[in-house]
Amino acid sequence: MIELAQTTIGGVLTGLVYGLVALSFVVIYRAARIVNVAQGQLVLVGAFLLWTAASALGLPLWLAVPAALAGTGLLGVVLERLVFRPLVGQSGFTIVLATIALLVLLQGLVQLLWGAETRPFPAVLPSGSLHLGPFRLNRTLLLGGVLTVLLTEVLHWFFLHTREGLRLAAVAEDHFTALSMGISVRRATTIAWLLGGALACLAAMVLLSGRLLGASAAGIGFVALPVALLGGLESVRGAALAGVIVGVGEALASAYLDPLTNGAMSPIFPFALMVIVLLIRPQGLFGWRVIERL
Amino acid sequence: MSADPPLLELRNVDVVFNGVIQVLRGASLTVPAGAVVALLGANGAGKTTALRAVSGLLATEQGRVTAGHIGYAGADITNADPCAIVARGLVQVLDGRRVLAHLSVAQNLRAGAHFRRDFDEPAELARVLGYFPALERLMRRTAGYLSGGEMQMLLVGRALMARPRLMLLDEPSMGLAPRIAQELFATIRRINRAEGMAILLVEQNAAAALEICDHGYVMETGRVVLHGDRAALLANEDMRAFYLGLSLTQARRSYREVKHYKRRKRWLG
Repeated sequence: MIELAQTTIGGVLTGLVYGLVALSFVVIYRAARIVNVAQGQLVLVGAFLLWTAASALGLPLWLAVPAALAGTGLLGVVLERLVFRPLVGQSGFTIVLATIALLVLLQGLVQLLWGAETRPFPAVLPSGSLHLGPFRLNRTLLLGGVLTVLLTEVLHWFFLHTREGLRLAAVAEDHFTALSMGISVRRATTIAWLLGGALACLAAMVLLSGRLLGASAAGIGFVALPVALLGGLESVRGAALAGVIVGVGEALASAYLDPLTNGAMSPIFPFALMVIVLLIRPQGLFGWRVIERL
Repeated sequence: MSADPPLLELRNVDVVFNGVIQVLRGASLTVPAGAVVALLGANGAGKTTALRAVSGLLATEQGRVTAGHIGYAGADITNADPCAIVARGLVQVLDGRRVLAHLSVAQNLRAGAHFRRDFDEPAELARVLGYFPALERLMRRTAGYLSGGEMQMLLVGRALMARPRLMLLDEPSMGLAPRIAQELFATIRRINRAEGMAILLVEQNAAAALEICDHGYVMETGRVVLHGDRAALLANEDMRAFYLGLSLTQARRSYREVKHYKRRKRWLG
């Protein structure tokens, strides 16, 4: 019983990191209607930017962290300008192909700039484990999880109660309507990519703090895609909740099914879930409407 | 006619979509400050296109004003950025009940004032609810679940939150029960009087529009074919026959008769 609870808790915490990456999907999708398959590569670039600032340049963390967040956000804005803005009005298929091209391009660029070897990632968050009764909690993930939940609530509030947020919410509903209300869709899209980039970088910090940084870190983008779909691509709160569902499912599969299947079940779980979601409820748990088929 | 320049003026405006499809042909119309102007015509006449030419929304549909001039409050707004146009106090209520469906009524209203700096929210909300008291108990309701009439009230209210000098209204009565439409038109007239806000109203329901307008224009295939003040339009025989279904002897004409007559008679010769 304790083992089950421990596994579940571990799953919740890992799931919240997925939720954080899914949140960066959601923020971008709401404004731009783009499912950025290369979001994992943004996480990777964010991680390398922090490594460069903190480890290579030796900046103190209070300076390196905002610099990396801003840098990744800026990369998001640049990608929007160079790649996605010229594609406005193109079919969803064209845009998805562009994000796939971007994925390969960014992966190559990271390898070109930072090399292929793995590096120790700075400990941005406190490490070690926290003992709570019979349970052990990973301090980094716990803090990251609290951060994710807080951030989700702040973003949710931002979208519904601030001027800028309402503008973004209107753009999320319908570009033409937003434009008729005098809301600049371009500006909203730029802000969304800035936010999406910064969130990806933040996810990198939670995921990698005190661990090893290598190209494989981008893989979280692929797990976060089913999370974002499950939560609903428009739903801020859905992302965190779906992250928990996927995280717990994956952890349980890892603990109970992997021993029987040579470790095949836990990596499959998010994607099996994604297929089921797409078949049964393509808009996800809290999404708005049936998403476009590609 | 006053000597003041009109608030809005379209002069010989041509609109072309995709570089080949011409929808407006030398359309001219004026909206004096504080007036209600009706823009009437059959489907495809170019009424909505005229409104979108004014509000700057043509570009999103690959349309462009290729000739002529659109002036608003002394400035040239031909092919201007829609955001800049809204900021000048010219707000369009689109057709098709485009509420922000996943936001609450209150959030929809607040979003309407998103660009205003000098903004006293409680006072502004109270002002809008003064015109549409029915919205008061719906403030927390999700806009997507409102009835058609409630949505239309919300849309006009949302536009009012921007405190416009000119409101473009595209088919507000579409799909509404006659009584609800009548109430809506009465409120629109009341808003016009109380706020001194000019309204350019596109309507299929010619009778209802003529009831509240000061001037009217009739469009066909991209041209303005008839215009005049309310009394002149109501007295015009073609207007009565084609759009109001009446003849001078007050007898109703059948649709078939009108269609036949219309085919024989060509506007503009």
